[in-house]
Amino acid sequence: MSRDQIIFIAFLFVFAVINIYLFGSDSLSADWAGFGTFLAAGITLSLYSFLYKDNPLFKFAENLYVGVAAAYTLTQVWYTVLFPDVVEPLSGLDSQSMSNFWLIVPTLLGLFMLTQLSSATFSWLSRIAFAFVVGLGAGLSIPRTIAANLLAQLEPTMQPIPPTWDGLNLLIILVGVVTVLVYFFYSVEHTGPVGVASKIGIWFLMISFGASFGYTIMARLSLLIGRVGFLLEDWLVLELPLF
Amino acid sequence: MKEFLINIDRRIIFIFVALGIIIPSLAALRLPIHITEDVKAIYDTIEEVGAKNGTILISFDYGPGSLPEVQPMAIAVLRHSFRKNVKVVGMSHWVDAVGLAQEAFEITSKEFGAQYGEDYTYLGYKTGGGSLVINMGNDFHNAFQKDQQGNNTTELPVTKNINGLADFDYVLCLAAGNTPDGIWIPFGQERYKFKFGLGCTAVMAPDQYPYLQSGQMNGMMGGLAGAAEYETLIETSGKATAGMGAQSVVHLIIIAFIILGNVMYFLYGRQKGGGQ
Repeated sequence: MSRDQIIFIAFLFVFAVINIYLFGSDSLSADWAGFGTFLAAGITLSLYSFLYKDNPLFKFAENLYVGVAAAYTLTQVWYTVLFPDVVEPLSGLDSQSMSNFWLIVPTLLGLFMLTQLSSATFSWLSRIAFAFVVGLGAGLSIPRTIAANLLAQLEPTMQPIPPTWDGLNLLIILVGVVTVLVYFFYSVEHTGPVGVASKIGIWFLMISFGASFGYTIMARLSLLIGRVGFLLEDWLVLELPLF
Repeated sequence: MKEFLINIDRRIIFIFVALGIIIPSLAALRLPIHITEDVKAIYDTIEEVGAKNGTILISFDYGPGSLPEVQPMAIAVLRHSFRKNVKVVGMSHWVDAVGLAQEAFEITSKEFGAQYGEDYTYLGYKTGGGSLVINMGNDFHNAFQKDQQGNNTTELPVTKNINGLADFDYVLCLAAGNTPDGIWIPFGQERYKFKFGLGCTAVMAPDQYPYLQSGQMNGMMGGLAGAAEYETLIETSGKATAGMGAQSVVHLIIIAFIILGNVMYFLYGRQKGGGQ
């Protein structure tokens, strides 16, 4: 028996013993809530077991998550979108059914999407639906994106710079925008003043990546803290003074 | 020793990180939390809305994967809102947010005796993204004819006077994805000019600062730290505040490892032609 197999069996044994104790001492209630906590703890530990090495428990938990998420999404979409917005109006279950016959058009387009999964005889129908989605998406997105993400961002970048701390911030933003744009301007050789501006642009980019990396560490640790808090407080029922 | 420090097994770092979380949690380590202007702006807006018994819209756009970061924000903002008699309408662009939003409403409404339909409602999940937001802006009752429980939005006291997005006194997006800069700002805020705030995961936060600078959003809570700041402002200790001690300790551990890694690299790595 290999070392990994021994660790795997030992992990299952320890997990079983802890849960027998928790259920035996009524720390975990013998009902669906208790079973849910036991299951959530097991899946959490199974997923974190990947930190040691890929293993069957991790694979099981990963596939279980995919299956549960797909089923949950399907039920939510059915009960909150498809049934009240499509099935109910078209089947005459609601009082406004006669005025909702225009819903046949988007419903048909939606069904056409599914023909992509069928044979070549019908799959061409999906192109009509995709053409509609692409056309609508581009028409809606292009003007709104330009207005919100470009024009609205240019305005604060080009404000007058007062001799205050806020003015210094504005100056830094202006220098950052200009030098980073210079860095990505490849039509001119990056030598002389262009090279200096380009190097300053690189520094702005590096600081930006560092800030993003710092925030990413904070985010991932927050998730870990949340799960550790669950394991200690909800599963092991430890009295945590802060949680 | 030198070889050990140059080639530290990642699992040793994991053990340090785990201990850095478990020990401060058990030892009740609490560090001071400083309030930033961006979080205070959201708090102040809720206070202003409360003073005129207004209505806010909260878009729950996150899932279980970001629950430890964003759910404390949702609970803190709902507590503040119900305490100040702010009416709350909830909705979701993310399908996996439904259960989390319902849980947040359930916890906070019980605490303050908020009545469903009178003080708050949850409209549930709806597909559409940008087109849904445009539809909500033009005709709110057409976009959401019924709430999650099947009640007509034209009859619920909390939504019957809402005709479009501009009728909300504040729109707050709690997000773990692209809904603020991909949906709410371009299709909602820019078009209907409502006051907009954001609570988001820490990963998203750096990309959202330009929208603060441009005034397209008036405030932002970023990650667990943002949630902890809001909990401090409403003087309620929640899960975010509890996690900040561990967060700070692990940050110090990671900084120590980064410094150690760089010192070892400059001392020995370069001599070996690029490090290990």
